[in-house]
Amino acid sequence: MVNLVRAELRKLLGLPTAWVGLVLGTLVAPVVVLLNAPYTRRAIAAGTLTDTSDLGLRDLGIGLIGPMVLGVIVVSSEYTSTGRDAPGARQLTATLAAVPHRLRLLAAKTIALVLVVAAQAAVTTAATLTLTQALHGEHVPVPAPARVAAAILYWTLTALLAYAITLITRNGIVPLTLLIINSSVVSVSYLLTKVTDLASYLPDIVGAQMFIRESDFPVEVPPVTAGLVMTAWIAALLAVGAVLFQRRDA
Amino acid sequence: MITIDRVSKTKSGTRILHDVTFEARPGRVTGFLGPNGAGKTSTLRILLGLDRPQGGTALICGRPYRTLDRPLTTVGALLDGSGAHRARTARAHLRWVAASNGLPDSRADEVLETVGLTGDARKRAGRFSLGMSRRLGLATALLGDPEVLVLDEPVNGLDPAGIRWMRGFLRDSAVQGRTVLLSSHLMGELAETVDDVVVIDKGRVVTHGRLADITGGHRTLEDAFFALTATEAGGPW
Repeated sequence: MVNLVRAELRKLLGLPTAWVGLVLGTLVAPVVVLLNAPYTRRAIAAGTLTDTSDLGLRDLGIGLIGPMVLGVIVVSSEYTSTGRDAPGARQLTATLAAVPHRLRLLAAKTIALVLVVAAQAAVTTAATLTLTQALHGEHVPVPAPARVAAAILYWTLTALLAYAITLITRNGIVPLTLLIINSSVVSVSYLLTKVTDLASYLPDIVGAQMFIRESDFPVEVPPVTAGLVMTAWIAALLAVGAVLFQRRDA
Repeated sequence: MITIDRVSKTKSGTRILHDVTFEARPGRVTGFLGPNGAGKTSTLRILLGLDRPQGGTALICGRPYRTLDRPLTTVGALLDGSGAHRARTARAHLRWVAASNGLPDSRADEVLETVGLTGDARKRAGRFSLGMSRRLGLATALLGDPEVLVLDEPVNGLDPAGIRWMRGFLRDSAVQGRTVLLSSHLMGELAETVDDVVVIDKGRVVTHGRLADITGGHRTLEDAFFALTATEAGGPW
């Protein structure tokens, strides 16, 4: 298994797109904190921003593009055509020739993705929160370690969500577009919460309640429950993806 | 040793393989011959555990491919393309494959040298010509120094020097005791390389045996092939 994980780490980190996801995902949240600093200071001074306990943690959301890219390409890179000479040829053939036991292969891929994303999340969370403390220290309480850990878990689960969906679609473009639009431009999940309370239990919405305190969602879910609900979503989608991957012709 | 026993496969409601049965033995080059669409690649994909048959078994050294541990040390396979992601260099591709089977990084450079790609080790696979992609695919197949080689249309896209090299390589492999199974729709290429022949047409094995026996009363393997498959010479394929 160690060999398989090592091979999957090499595969992932050997892709230029993975580095786009890594660099972008790690830097964007701290940069936003830096750019927003003057406005945040003014808002605190003017008294319009009273609850500052989410400051920093809330800014992490924009960086989720990193884990989403990583989660998608771990799978989609297997299905990309390897060249114009052989349009049907894909890396997956080489992968399954080397590791024909499909569930072991998926386990190795999952572990490699979790290691990379958890490391990225730890770095960017530390950077974002340290920067927030440095800029607005006297106004912002230091977040409890559990909330920081929950933020890292949220990033990791988001990557696994993207990974599981791509395992089902076998194509990276659709899940990546939907996930990025949903997390940045128009949050379909959030709009759905206006229609039905059930939407509060969608993975991205419920997961955020693991570490964000102040929320305008109709249903407030305690952090541990939120984590369990999001984990259940991921486990279910991963199970579907794994069954399909096991059964389908490569 | 490769044993294919009554393998059948249905795709999109059409039966593409009907009880395909044959063997490929150690120390011999076995040619798997048939027109395009006859079922050669489908059979090899089932042999390599990529696709599932509806019936029958395909075994390598007595075991299904999917149950092999570190399979590259037993079987080397070459299918369509190189198998390398376009953005990866040849060396990076070979190194992850080597790592997955517990082989040392040094094997990557060794097999690159074997197939004559040492100078292109740092080039991205997406910029390879068709011939270079085939060589990289073959290099991947050789990483684990396997005793069985399964090659789908190995001379496709190779230049005359490459074809000559491949022929010598296949003969040498058999002399060293390896089991070599290769598919081709080019009869001329096959006649000079193979010991045994399996002819497949429309998903059925129409004949198999030693090259001399198959060619038998015909002038060339090509004549024998057309007589056996009843395909019009100069037909659309």
